[in-house]
Amino acid sequence: MPSQRGSARRRQRCVLLAGIAILLIALVLAAVLASVLTGSKEEANPEPLRWQGRGTTRNLREIVLGRCYSYLAEGHAELRDKDCLKIWESLKAAFVHKNPCNATTEDYRPLMELTSHPVPCNESLFWSRTYDLVHLYSKCNHHFLTLEDTFLGYMLDGLSWCGDPSAPGINYESCPKWSECERSSGSVFWKMASKMFAEAACGVVHVMLNGSIEAGAFRTSSVFGSVEIFNLNPDKVSEIRIWLMNDIGGPQSDSCSGYSIKKLRNILEERNFKITCEDNYRPVQLLQCVHNPDHPDCNLCISSTEAP
Amino acid sequence: MMKSLFLSFLLGSNLFVNNFSEVQGRKWKGEGTTPNLESITIGRCYDYIRVVNPAVGEKNCSELWEAFRNAFINKDPCNILPQHFELFFKLSLHAIPTDKSLFWENNQLLVNSFSNRARRYMALGDTLFGFFGDFLNWCGQENSTGLDYESCPTAAECENNAVDAFWRMASMTYAQHSSGVIHVLLNGSAEGGAYPVKGFFADYEIPHLQRDKISQIDIWVVDDIEGPNTDSCGHNTVQILEDRLKTLGYSVTCTDNYKPVMFLLCLDNPDHSKCTLSSSAPAAQRGPISSDRGGSWNKLMFVSFVGFLFRSVLVY
Repeated sequence: MPSQRGSARRRQRCVLLAGIAILLIALVLAAVLASVLTGSKEEANPEPLRWQGRGTTRNLREIVLGRCYSYLAEGHAELRDKDCLKIWESLKAAFVHKNPCNATTEDYRPLMELTSHPVPCNESLFWSRTYDLVHLYSKCNHHFLTLEDTFLGYMLDGLSWCGDPSAPGINYESCPKWSECERSSGSVFWKMASKMFAEAACGVVHVMLNGSIEAGAFRTSSVFGSVEIFNLNPDKVSEIRIWLMNDIGGPQSDSCSGYSIKKLRNILEERNFKITCEDNYRPVQLLQCVHNPDHPDCNLCISSTEAP
Repeated sequence: MMKSLFLSFLLGSNLFVNNFSEVQGRKWKGEGTTPNLESITIGRCYDYIRVVNPAVGEKNCSELWEAFRNAFINKDPCNILPQHFELFFKLSLHAIPTDKSLFWENNQLLVNSFSNRARRYMALGDTLFGFFGDFLNWCGQENSTGLDYESCPTAAECENNAVDAFWRMASMTYAQHSSGVIHVLLNGSAEGGAYPVKGFFADYEIPHLQRDKISQIDIWVVDDIEGPNTDSCGHNTVQILEDRLKTLGYSVTCTDNYKPVMFLLCLDNPDHSKCTLSSSAPAAQRGPISSDRGGSWNKLMFVSFVGFLFRSVLVY
């Protein structure tokens, strides 16, 4: 009968409309929930700050601990009581959760105290712009120690680390370059370590400088020129010997009689140090020749013979 | 007198018992496992893949440690075979760049300096698996999952000890994956000859070189600066090596006192006659910031100035 069919259709329409309304409400609720959840997630894990340098080295803990135990296994008597786990914790405490542009020496003081050890006299070897060569040399000649051959330097050489105010507190994506902020984690650490290394030096100390740099072998802006020379103790250090190395086949931009060395001499003599300088110190030059054997500057008087 | 005899007997037997129990405490004659071995090796593994040679890619360093450890724990420390380390080497394997393999005998420290941490050459100690175990010591115990930190068997006590088993497998693996030009650095001053006919190179490396992947073998025989010239190319043990390799079908060259390595040896003896550079100027004077170069330039300026003054006076 027509009225019954009409009401049935009306009912169907109502059900359909109700269904659509419920679906719409459900969709809106879902969207609201989603935005609320992601909003809170973002709050819990905001993006770390962005910098221009490479991020914290992954597995920093394992690497630092491994190097620590490895160094101790070499049997240095003066390091017998060192606790590697404690050392790691003090490094962590120095930078985790902190803004990496606001590092202070106080952050690193516990770490410095836990890792300090005396350096034998006449063995301290400083350097500026000669990283590869000076470390090749100290590796071959165990009478010399660069900062990176000391316990603390060895543990952290070549590694990168910085914190971030947001969780988890370590920035693995990027870290500030030294030029980005005055007090970056890295620069504060290395300057402090360099200061202590200089303070500990005694007897005859050596420094390897690069005579192939156009800007000059000695720069007041380098760590050597701004930190180390001012923390050498004239009462403990009897002489400073400079080795001015030119790259084999490289430009001879500077030498012992050059302007930058005169500047260095003035600064040091004012502090009552005795200074000597040698261009292309022979043993180090021999080391350069290992990697440039065919250069005319590297002709040995005894030539090698080749058998077929 | 009886009393004193009795006392001496007591004292003597006491000493004997003490010594005996001391010997009993140390099972073997060699040094024990390196303390904190697990931390050191896992640290080295990450150091290698993150810093030393990131080109190697991702490795699971804990898994590597487990595979390494399982090779020798809970077993008779006198019966560890290279095959026990198979899983470890499978997990730690990576490509060795062609032309960069450097084999050696009797000159490990020299090789380490020369290879420059895989930058110049990649010796076994510069691979992940070599870097992992270099200069460390380890051994296990039967019926215990612990490492023995007290003592470990020497090679004389057990030929099949854990450390030698590891290095045998390492040598085989390294040789198998070497390609291109192969280099061999031998010590021409070594007692018994530069090429040990029984040694890692002879017994585990040469037999596992892959002939179809190798273009040439370059042998370098370098004497200690002040050492005797026990061996050299075309003589004694080096001749034996050259013949063996040629018989196996390799193209072989041999060089005495290979120059780059000589320079390294000269570091400790820069004034030795073997170390004189034919182009070197007379030794730079060590003095208050003056070098030969600077001195002669200053002299020239002074002479020119005096000459100028003199001329001016004359003209005037």
